[in-house]
Amino acid sequence: MKVEAMRIQDIQKGYKEKNFSAIEITKDYLDRARKFDGSIKAFISLNEDAALRDAEAIDARMLKGEEVGLLAGIPIAIKDNICTRGMKTTCASKMLEDFVPPYDATVVKKLKEAGAIIIGKTNMDEFAMGSSTENSAFTATKNPWDTTKVPGGSSGGSAAAVAAGFAPLAFGSDTGGSIRQPASFCGLVGLKPTYGLVSRYGLIAFGSSLDQIGPFTRTVEDCALSLQAIQGQDSMDTTSYKGKIEGQYVSELQEDIKGLRIGIPKEFFQAGLNPEIAKAMKDSMEVLEKMGAILEEFSLPIMDSALSAYYIISSAEASSNLARYDGVRYGYRSNSFEGINELIVNSRTEAFGKEVKRRIMMGTYVLSSGYYDAYYKKAMLLRSKIKDSFANAFESYDIILSPTSPILPFNIGEKLEDPLQMYLADIYTVSINIAGVPAISIPCGFSRSKLPIGLQFIGNHFSEKQLLKAAYSLEQQLGIHQVMPVLKEV
Amino acid sequence: MKITSEEIQYIAKLAKLDFTEEEAVVFAKEFDSILSHFDNLDREDYTNTDMRERENAISVFRDDEVQPFKDQEELFQNAKSKRESYLELPKIVE
Amino acid sequence: MVFETIIGLEIHVELATKSKIFCSCPTTFGSSPNENTCPVCTGMPGTLPVLNEEVVTLAVKAGTALSCEINRINKFDRKNYFYPDLPKAYQISQFDLPICSKGYVDVALGEKSKRINITRIHLEEDAGKLIHLEDEPISLVDYNRTGVPLIEIVTEPDLRSPEEAVAFLKTLKSILQYAEISDCKMEQGSLRCDANISIREIGTEVLNTRVEIKNLNSFKEVLKALEKEEKRQRELYQYKEEYKIQQETRKWDAAKGKTIPMRSKEESHDYRYFPEPDLKPVLIEEDFLKRAIENIPELPEERKRRIIQQHGVKEMQVDILIGQKELADYFEEVLSCGANPIEAANWITVDLLRVLKDIDISEEGVPIKANYLAKLIELVQTGKISRTAGKEIFDEMVRTDKSPEALVEEKGLSQISNTSELEKIAAEVLSQNLQAIEDYKNGKPQAIGYIMGQTMKATKGKANPQIVKEIIEEKLKKVQI
Ligand SMILES: [Mg+2]
Ligand SMILES: [Zn+2]
Repeated sequence: MKVEAMRIQDIQKGYKEKNFSAIEITKDYLDRARKFDGSIKAFISLNEDAALRDAEAIDARMLKGEEVGLLAGIPIAIKDNICTRGMKTTCASKMLEDFVPPYDATVVKKLKEAGAIIIGKTNMDEFAMGSSTENSAFTATKNPWDTTKVPGGSSGGSAAAVAAGFAPLAFGSDTGGSIRQPASFCGLVGLKPTYGLVSRYGLIAFGSSLDQIGPFTRTVEDCALSLQAIQGQDSMDTTSYKGKIEGQYVSELQEDIKGLRIGIPKEFFQAGLNPEIAKAMKDSMEVLEKMGAILEEFSLPIMDSALSAYYIISSAEASSNLARYDGVRYGYRSNSFEGINELIVNSRTEAFGKEVKRRIMMGTYVLSSGYYDAYYKKAMLLRSKIKDSFANAFESYDIILSPTSPILPFNIGEKLEDPLQMYLADIYTVSINIAGVPAISIPCGFSRSKLPIGLQFIGNHFSEKQLLKAAYSLEQQLGIHQVMPVLKEV
Repeated sequence: MKITSEEIQYIAKLAKLDFTEEEAVVFAKEFDSILSHFDNLDREDYTNTDMRERENAISVFRDDEVQPFKDQEELFQNAKSKRESYLELPKIVE
Repeated sequence: MVFETIIGLEIHVELATKSKIFCSCPTTFGSSPNENTCPVCTGMPGTLPVLNEEVVTLAVKAGTALSCEINRINKFDRKNYFYPDLPKAYQISQFDLPICSKGYVDVALGEKSKRINITRIHLEEDAGKLIHLEDEPISLVDYNRTGVPLIEIVTEPDLRSPEEAVAFLKTLKSILQYAEISDCKMEQGSLRCDANISIREIGTEVLNTRVEIKNLNSFKEVLKALEKEEKRQRELYQYKEEYKIQQETRKWDAAKGKTIPMRSKEESHDYRYFPEPDLKPVLIEEDFLKRAIENIPELPEERKRRIIQQHGVKEMQVDILIGQKELADYFEEVLSCGANPIEAANWITVDLLRVLKDIDISEEGVPIKANYLAKLIELVQTGKISRTAGKEIFDEMVRTDKSPEALVEEKGLSQISNTSELEKIAAEVLSQNLQAIEDYKNGKPQAIGYIMGQTMKATKGKANPQIVKEIIEEKLKKVQI
């Protein structure tokens, strides 16, 4: 079996049966990345030397028969907005082009403890702002299924890395859909956990009240395993969940879904939804019904205003979160300035990209005196209402089903000049972040042009187990997760 | 609603960004279309809604214990210039 | 027209915690630059704040000691502004739901007492320190103070003169010190005061344009700066030029003895406050509140009552003692070394206070060890030395570290109380002052004073004056017969 087709389980099985070593696996992935990433641009930086050292150490431990972690010897890619000590973390911005964090994010710490091997940091929309990974200061990432298309964003590099077979597992962050939408565009499983299930410490903040880290994998089982490795309370993050999650994500996957009540919000299936996506949804719904799930249409009338609330809250928080990039302590500093104010203004003006500036400006505007009540406050009130709407829905349904994206992967450059059109592409994902509930995107079919289509399951707070169970059942029935894109060397 | 480029320049000043007049005009236009989309917030009823401070409040704290971070060298490794252990900046005039 | 001065204060107080408000760095004053820093307080990308419990406890204690309502649900907000001493470019503070609101302090003003209302007390983090080099175009940044916990106490505009403002500050400082909320060292910046001052016509309720004065680092400077600004504004009102008063922030320059405008006028004060998403609202539970309040140390008023009751010291003296916590602590320490309370109060409120004009005990401590003062009091009370000699030794103890016994020895100040020895000396003196005896016989009793003086002189002041007086009176009586 070639590495690009391997799931985490396949690698683990191989280690157990001593078919190959972690060094061999890591080398294979790195070789493949070096060979093909020229046409995909999934990575901002590769971590070759350290990865091989780590693989060697894991091999030694496995040889001795030591107890190793959940992800021992699994090569992983990490979005470049998650801090890795001693390893550049750029947020795909000129601002942090040379920034080397002095500490590891809690998730990185956990992954290292679990034995995972970090092979590289992945490309993204600058500071995670965007839905196409075109807003990177360095390069645009291509969709491995069709390199004229975007991979989605903002975690497009992580999605492309897994889809292209550069790693069996990658991590991204999801503020308004930035894991689920690229997962859907790249034919992968992508999970946005419940807000608070995974520590945000070390995730470079975009919208603090919305951000969550989550995995990209080929399969739901790999997703469950990865979530197990990174979840849990963190004393460094006050917003992380203080309760305990009972049981294991992986072991409960295979229970059947007979009697599972699935709500279909009719507002998510109206005008603007690509008919091929609508068709794929319908097919999957039939499969679910055949498996014994109870599907019912209902109304969740929050989509349009949720998008407004999302852009207002995330931009407001971003305008404040990104204020620290002032050229004073770290990061880009302009060469031409007179006095400290010019140092700050010129550094920020020269180093931030257009979309980042747009969000900072929007966020500053909605918080500025005179506009706070009209925008920010209203958005926060609407947020309370959206939470209520989801809470109501989950009284009747175990799970809500929707498309992940209203559109198929679009052409590179197609939406760059129209920010509002780009924002509208997030319409099915943002309300989930606003409510803080979990959602998973899984591949459910292909368009005629062979572009992946994603389906989203949304669950109640901390119902990841049920979400994964439903996703697993559907995945097994659809059986499309074996299919892979074909890459060309450049 | 029409946002003027003067307003854009005022916001830019708060955000410590600099825009040329042409850029400000483009921004003003984009803002107009984005903000008019945001007007759908006004169609909602907020009479019985609040910010939920009450239900979100928690009583979880850190103990008052000192745990020094020892590697200041690494902490300031990204700094442009240092003098002894100070960060060095061009003079800040008040 | 008669005018009055309207003053409101904003006081920042550093809380006496071991670690910072949102990270585990120490709060130690005087560490080497940037020694007390970590990724969190230097605003490294990706870091998050975690609230220190002791900060909440101390703020609740402060609120209680200042008769405030404690807001059982309060929350943090971000105050956004750019400055190189603020690593995140926002200060985590409290905006619309502070931890305490609506309190007051009763301030003694001469015979009367005046209630000064407190609008609110909120929690926030301190900023770092900038040092501007004189001869190079360079500023240096030290982030040790960044993230040190502060409470900001905001008063109503209830103060009517610079003197009142200072009296209020002194009372406030002593309450906070007694409650062990802060060491309140103005010179180290652990108590900082900004003042808002305006003028209005008496009888009106308007609040006219006010000027904010910052950088007031001692009570003396608060007084001076406010007097100066009061004078400037009053004169403008007198000449009907009050339109010249602008709402602005001015910095007090102690060296030049004047205020200078701080921020350029076009600079906006649009702080874009919004709820801090990294910290959930704070819930103060019933038992947390109870524990905090129960553990408030004795406050000045309670202590005053107790000292009067327990030791019978005069109220006026107790007022002086409790006025400075260090002084009251010292007084009780002297008592615990066995000193007589009335005597101790006298020594401290008269002799020690005279010396303390030049010494700041909050900085340097009391210059005489408590057990030394107790010993000195005993030496005088038992007549081992005269009161005059006692004062001399007292002054010497301020200058040196020597014990009172050693000083008595060194200076030969021990008092002659031996009657037979004194009788001999008195007889000698009398025999040399026949004229004085004659005067006495002729009905001039003041001659006794003269003879006593001569006797004391003969003993170089070491004689116990009481005994000398008795001996001379006895002898003169005999002469008369
Ligand atoms: Mg303040
Ligand atoms: Zn710190």
